[in-house]
Amino acid sequence: MSTQYSILFKQEHAHDDAIWTAAWGKSEADGTETIVTGSLDDMVKVWKWSDEKLELQWTLEGHQLGVVSVDISHNGAIAASSSLDAHIRLWDLESGKQIKSMDAGPVDAWSVAFSPDSKYIATGSHHGKVNIFGVESGKKEYSLDTRGKFILSIAYSPDGKYLASGAIDGIINIFDIATGKLLHTLEGHAMPIRSLTFSPDSQLLVTASDDGYIKIYDVQHANLAGTLSGHGSWVLNVAFSPDDTHFVSSSSDKSVKVWDASSRACINTFFDHQDQVWSVKYNSNGSKIISAGDDRAIHIYDCPM
Amino acid sequence: MASFGWKRKAGEKVSKSVVQQFEADEEAGGEGAGQGEEVDWLHAIKRRREVLLEDCAEKSKRLKDEGALLAEQGRHWEAVKKWDDAIHLTPDNPDLYEMKSQVLTILQEVFPAVKAAEMAVKLRPLWWEGWQTLGRAQLNLGEVELAVKSFQVAIHLCPSEPTLWQEDLAWACKLQKQHLATKEKIRQEEETKKQILHAPELEQDFDFESDEVLAACEAVAERQTRYEELKRTAVVMDSEGNIKNVLTGEGGSEDTETLSEEQFVKARGL
Repeated sequence: MSTQYSILFKQEHAHDDAIWTAAWGKSEADGTETIVTGSLDDMVKVWKWSDEKLELQWTLEGHQLGVVSVDISHNGAIAASSSLDAHIRLWDLESGKQIKSMDAGPVDAWSVAFSPDSKYIATGSHHGKVNIFGVESGKKEYSLDTRGKFILSIAYSPDGKYLASGAIDGIINIFDIATGKLLHTLEGHAMPIRSLTFSPDSQLLVTASDDGYIKIYDVQHANLAGTLSGHGSWVLNVAFSPDDTHFVSSSSDKSVKVWDASSRACINTFFDHQDQVWSVKYNSNGSKIISAGDDRAIHIYDCPM
Repeated sequence: MASFGWKRKAGEKVSKSVVQQFEADEEAGGEGAGQGEEVDWLHAIKRRREVLLEDCAEKSKRLKDEGALLAEQGRHWEAVKKWDDAIHLTPDNPDLYEMKSQVLTILQEVFPAVKAAEMAVKLRPLWWEGWQTLGRAQLNLGEVELAVKSFQVAIHLCPSEPTLWQEDLAWACKLQKQHLATKEKIRQEEETKKQILHAPELEQDFDFESDEVLAACEAVAERQTRYEELKRTAVVMDSEGNIKNVLTGEGGSEDTETLSEEQFVKARGL
């Protein structure tokens, strides 16, 4: 266990073009750690993280256009990917085979997120609707309507109670999943919200926006708990650490920043990428961070525990 | 004396405030010269550079607006000239390159249009309009694959822009599909042609039985007809983007007939 933040591993030229999205999962079956990346080169790649290095396991072909978003189911068995070709595809991570391909209709697939029970996949859509697809059925099961604009980002709360969506006009909506009711509408940012994430205890919601700010909300009361500045350009992605005390953000200013959730201070900045950093995630125990971006590189960082 | 000439040339186009400032500067300069040896040269040079920088930005903006006006009136080459002058003054302004690229595309100056748009996205990579203009310029140059990429980057930056989806990306993808289909057809054609000229049946074995030769000739003839069929078809895409190989008119058939005769002579020659 390291005592300070440091870069551990770099995979240069991981894709043939910009990497737009990454996810880190852990298999419940055998405990192996899997990383999935999606790129403008139409490919989804599956990597194994073992012995402190990345090994390419599968290159998944099928999408006709760039891959916008990927997520891994909570048991680590299935990956979901969405592309500009308006299809959501499900992949078996063990065999590298496509399980399902779901046509989400024109421009109706952007971010994808597995529900905590991994039975559903939520995706934002053009007309402000959150569509929920069944993993088993491969069909659209129902949808939640924000009555707003294009939904760029989506997150389930880990306790399974809430679903939050961030729109291109900066509006945040929080739904109660059990009733399907819209609980809160927050006018958080005046610019697109590219990413949002719940804390592991589901109490806080962190949002990232093109306005360069990160905001923290108290979910129950829908109060703004803090506004964080530090990035010099769009904040493209945020992810909460499983330890509940840190979160990480990435930006088009080419940096990755780690924040302390209670003091709201930036405690470390990585300046290792050559270009915009589109995606950043923690691993399952919070000891590592992955980042990837326009420079086609995947970086793995060590976190003090 | 030089400054006098400048004032006369600029005429009414120069705003009153600028003229007044200029005159004031000149007076100040005159005083400075009068003071002789006590001039702080280091400071003077510094200040002059600041003034110059400001002038560049302002002049560049004026040239940009003039160029836009000219472009609106369809005077495209004059607009490009204005923007080139503006770029000379402020080489880091992506707006200038983007506007120039659009007008160069209209003028069918395809390669310079791509170059200009590339500069625009390099200077401002998060600007979706720049990527859209780059994609359109690349499409004009025939670089369909690159255009598809550029439009995707634009959409990724601003997915709520319907023209990007419905016009730019959809059109570029259609062209890409057609491009691929044409390429595949050419490949098939060449493959068949190669097999006619070097029939695999006749290659290894030189001790021919008559029925073997007959069978080989039949195979060659079959390929011949297939080749001719391929020659006579063209890749056509209907309005829904479905790709078909369609028989073209009679025009080309004579040529293929003479060609096929020649090749038959060759085959028999074996």
